[in-house]
Amino acid sequence: MKQYCYGSTVFFLFLDFQFLMKKRHEQKLVVLSIALFLVFNVPFLLVFNSDGQLFGIPVFYFSIFSIWILSIVISYIVLKRHYE
Amino acid sequence: MKRKILIVDDEPNIVMSLEYTFKKQDFEVFIARDGSEALEILESEVPDVVLLDIMMPNVDGYQTLTQIKNNEKLADTKVVFLTAKNKASDIEKGLKLGADKYLTKPFSVKKIVSEILELLN
Amino acid sequence: MNNYSLVLIIILYLAVLFYIAFFAERKKKSKWVNNPYVYTLSLAVYCSAWTYYGSIGIAANSGIDFLPIYLGPVIAAPLWIVLLRKIIRISKQHKISSIADFISLRYGNHRFLGALVTLVCLFGTLPYISLQLKAVSETFAIIADETSYISTSILDDSTFYVALLLAVFATFFGTQNTDASEKHKGIIASVAFESVLKLLFFLVIGIYITFYLFDGTTDIYSKISNTENFNSLIKLNGIEDSFNWFFMTGLSFIAIFLLPRQFQVSVLENIREKHLKKAIWMFPLYLLLFNVFVIFIAWAGKLTFGNAVNAEYYTLLLPLENGNSFLATLVFLGGFSAVISMVVVSTLALSIMVSNNLIIPYGFLDKFIKNQPERNSKYIKNIRRISIFTIIITAYFFYVSFSRELSLYSIGLISFVIIAQLAPSFFIGLYWNRGSSKAAIIGIIVGILIVLYTLVLPFTVQAYTGSDDFVQYGLRGISALKPHALFGIDFLSPPAHAFFWSMSANILCYLIFSLTSKGHYRERNYAEMFVDIRNFSTLQDSALVWKGEAYVADIKNVLVRFLGETKANRALSIFFTKYKLSPDTQIADARLINFSEKLLTGSIGSASAKILIASVVKEEQISLVEVLKILEESKEHIVSNKVLLEKSNELAELSSKLKTANQELITKDKQKDEFLDTVAHELKTPITGIRAATELLMDDIDDMPMEMKQQFLKNILQDSDRLGRLINNILDFEKLETGRLNLDIERYDIQNTMKKAMSSISHIASKKEIRLINRNPHSFKLNYDEDRILQVLTNLLSNAMKFCKEKTGEITIDYKLGNQFVEISVSDNGKGIPSEDHDFIFEKFYQSKHQNTIKPHGSGLGLAITKQIVQKHNGKIWAEKGLKKGAKLVFTLPFE
Repeated sequence: MKQYCYGSTVFFLFLDFQFLMKKRHEQKLVVLSIALFLVFNVPFLLVFNSDGQLFGIPVFYFSIFSIWILSIVISYIVLKRHYE
Repeated sequence: MKRKILIVDDEPNIVMSLEYTFKKQDFEVFIARDGSEALEILESEVPDVVLLDIMMPNVDGYQTLTQIKNNEKLADTKVVFLTAKNKASDIEKGLKLGADKYLTKPFSVKKIVSEILELLN
Repeated sequence: MNNYSLVLIIILYLAVLFYIAFFAERKKKSKWVNNPYVYTLSLAVYCSAWTYYGSIGIAANSGIDFLPIYLGPVIAAPLWIVLLRKIIRISKQHKISSIADFISLRYGNHRFLGALVTLVCLFGTLPYISLQLKAVSETFAIIADETSYISTSILDDSTFYVALLLAVFATFFGTQNTDASEKHKGIIASVAFESVLKLLFFLVIGIYITFYLFDGTTDIYSKISNTENFNSLIKLNGIEDSFNWFFMTGLSFIAIFLLPRQFQVSVLENIREKHLKKAIWMFPLYLLLFNVFVIFIAWAGKLTFGNAVNAEYYTLLLPLENGNSFLATLVFLGGFSAVISMVVVSTLALSIMVSNNLIIPYGFLDKFIKNQPERNSKYIKNIRRISIFTIIITAYFFYVSFSRELSLYSIGLISFVIIAQLAPSFFIGLYWNRGSSKAAIIGIIVGILIVLYTLVLPFTVQAYTGSDDFVQYGLRGISALKPHALFGIDFLSPPAHAFFWSMSANILCYLIFSLTSKGHYRERNYAEMFVDIRNFSTLQDSALVWKGEAYVADIKNVLVRFLGETKANRALSIFFTKYKLSPDTQIADARLINFSEKLLTGSIGSASAKILIASVVKEEQISLVEVLKILEESKEHIVSNKVLLEKSNELAELSSKLKTANQELITKDKQKDEFLDTVAHELKTPITGIRAATELLMDDIDDMPMEMKQQFLKNILQDSDRLGRLINNILDFEKLETGRLNLDIERYDIQNTMKKAMSSISHIASKKEIRLINRNPHSFKLNYDEDRILQVLTNLLSNAMKFCKEKTGEITIDYKLGNQFVEISVSDNGKGIPSEDHDFIFEKFYQSKHQNTIKPHGSGLGLAITKQIVQKHNGKIWAEKGLKKGAKLVFTLPFE
């Protein structure tokens, strides 16, 4: 005996699929990631590539750490506001 | 002795026609423009018949009738509704409250006179 | 410190970890175990001994190069909301238990591919584990007494025993379940605890060195900035450095997803998707905290020791130099924590891969089929246990024979580059449904071969022969084949160079062979499921296309062998209820095949599951075209189901709307009756007057005095006029109310219209000696229907006149400009509108009970019509409330 089965014979509705965040807000994070990729690489990175220091932290490190903190804050805000 | 009639209506033109008609029939005619004026007149006068409109400002026809029925002095006074309300339910309500007759507008002057005279005799 | 007390501390610490893991396993459901913080901290398994000690070595010797290893993850973290969530969903849906499973399932349960991925992971991770052991051994040596002897054989090397203890720990908590896709909450809880400790102790030592041993960051900076070559430590040096930086960032970006231990904690041990919400920002924060003190510790160490000691261990040497052995012990424990979590999670992940993707599918399957269920489960667990021990011991021997020579950093990077070979088939396969297994295999093998040649071979050759001729002159002296400078690209660091070449070749092979080979239908089926997880997760088990002959009894037999009688029965009854099938169904369909494969995947891996199920069913080949057609249909069904649901919601909404509309109609009908009643009454009144007067005139034409006749004729005329007005009003009102009245809108001056309205009533006003006042003489142009607004104004004015006393009466007309509307008001000094009437005066046939004049010859429709006209102009009309004297009716007309 043979049979032929596939999904379309089942008329089921599974509504447990939840979208936790709207696409637009998800895309904000994606854009943040792209922006970080650009800022953390040459040629953009060369903007900070200079001598000198702030609070004993060389400018290069200081800039990277600042962007790093900024990205944390942005992710935090986006997720806080738009998740669920 | 002259028979007395009280006409209660807020339409001056209609009142004028009725006044003319009943004066000619040798009635003493009193006129009130609404229920409260009518009740005022009824304190001093005891007419044989009251011709009563229903839709009037302030005190309407139904209320006036109830007041008249509650007044022992006016036990012999006949009350006739003369109104444009001609639905069966309205007529029933009027007669239930104790009106002696229920006549509808527009009316024939002659018919009103004959109905009133019939009622009084 | 005494050797033995240090051993005691280590044992005590391990006991604490055992206790935490034990506690977490016992209280699996507790919120102490299931929360986003534990999840985030478990991700910090990324920070191994390499971070803890290695970063400082790099910061001291070559500068900024330690940073890209953390910037990759920082760039990746925001992407998790899309990427990692998709991976987690797929893994949960298919009960995936390792990255090898994930990749082999994507390419149609491909057995060889799963084994290949496992080998790549083993090859990439073993040296990495040995690197951790090296760190333990070296730090142990630093912190222990100088008098203690150097170990000469394995049996008195403490590192060996540490490795064994770790193996016991991983075995105990890693193999509680046969089903490897079950969570390992004990291990995760201990990893989270260790992540707290390692960060805490690293921060403590950072603060101690920076602010206690030195006078803050500026102090260290000013001292170090005078040294030679300092500038090369704080900047990118030229374009070569930039390239290295770029490739290292890319490498770490890949690593945060694909390292077996990262995949284990971020995907497989993820309890809830929403934990990502915290992890996305907290993990970068964790990494940031781990990095802030690195440069200061490195410089402080450099200032203190010069180049005399291994810079990687400054964190231990600095407190020891200053006599603070307590702090040094804390640092040692922090580093030890980093080692334990990395080693335990990595071996766990590897052992699952080795058993499910290598050993079981390539040797033990036949045996399993004959075995009893209890013995099968024992076998599977034992295979994993032996794998864990083998992996750790192999790593130990690797350390003993190889990595003593190498720094933490270089071995770590070699690992990364090897693991990165999985990236094309993993990432591209997630979004591109044509990626095929053949292409994935070729890509990975080519990539690995290049890594072997450019990275592994040189250091092996060097380690054995002691000469660097191979690196210097290339294979057989051909300079184009120099392992660190293939085809003349000599400006990259060896790892970046290997990464660049292997990745380019890997990606190209993957893409080209995907396009040239036509995939197997099963493969394409899974590809569609992975790429389009959103649609297929709603399809669930029906997403697998399958055609052939299968019996429930046979499948049940297989399930019983691996899950046991009770579990298998329970699973099947769940399946039958879920799809509303009768429990005595005999013929198995595609859904049951898929369901059973998933059930087995957790225990024996997806490839073996497929083989096992295939052995008891007769599958028929389906053409690729057919599969795609069926998948398309299923997807359409989902879409149409969605549409149906939407439609049914719409219908429900519509029917409730209809209900209210019906209710409204009933009330409207009632209102209509009342309206007709009132209209009839109002029409009868003048007709009665006319009829009575006419009758009297006819009958009494001779007797009636002349003035009486004239009065009656006048009455007739009046009543006729009234009738005419009434009929016009009714028609107007009807038109307005049913919306059939078309306004004739043009640009007019409101001042003119107001004047016209006033003049039309001025003669009546002057007769009554009522004063008309126009307060605002300015003109203002806007669009409206003049006739209608004139009607409104006349209505309002004559209404005001009705309530005004003769002689003292005063009517004021005025207008003001608001935002986008003109506000026109008509007020009088009459007796005002009683508050109870305010809401009703604009209703049809409403006449105030307090109207004191003789019944005005209005229709009772005036204000109702007024309201309709104003509303038709999109304006509003109301009676001002709270006036002390008189009434004020106001309406607005909008202008653009």
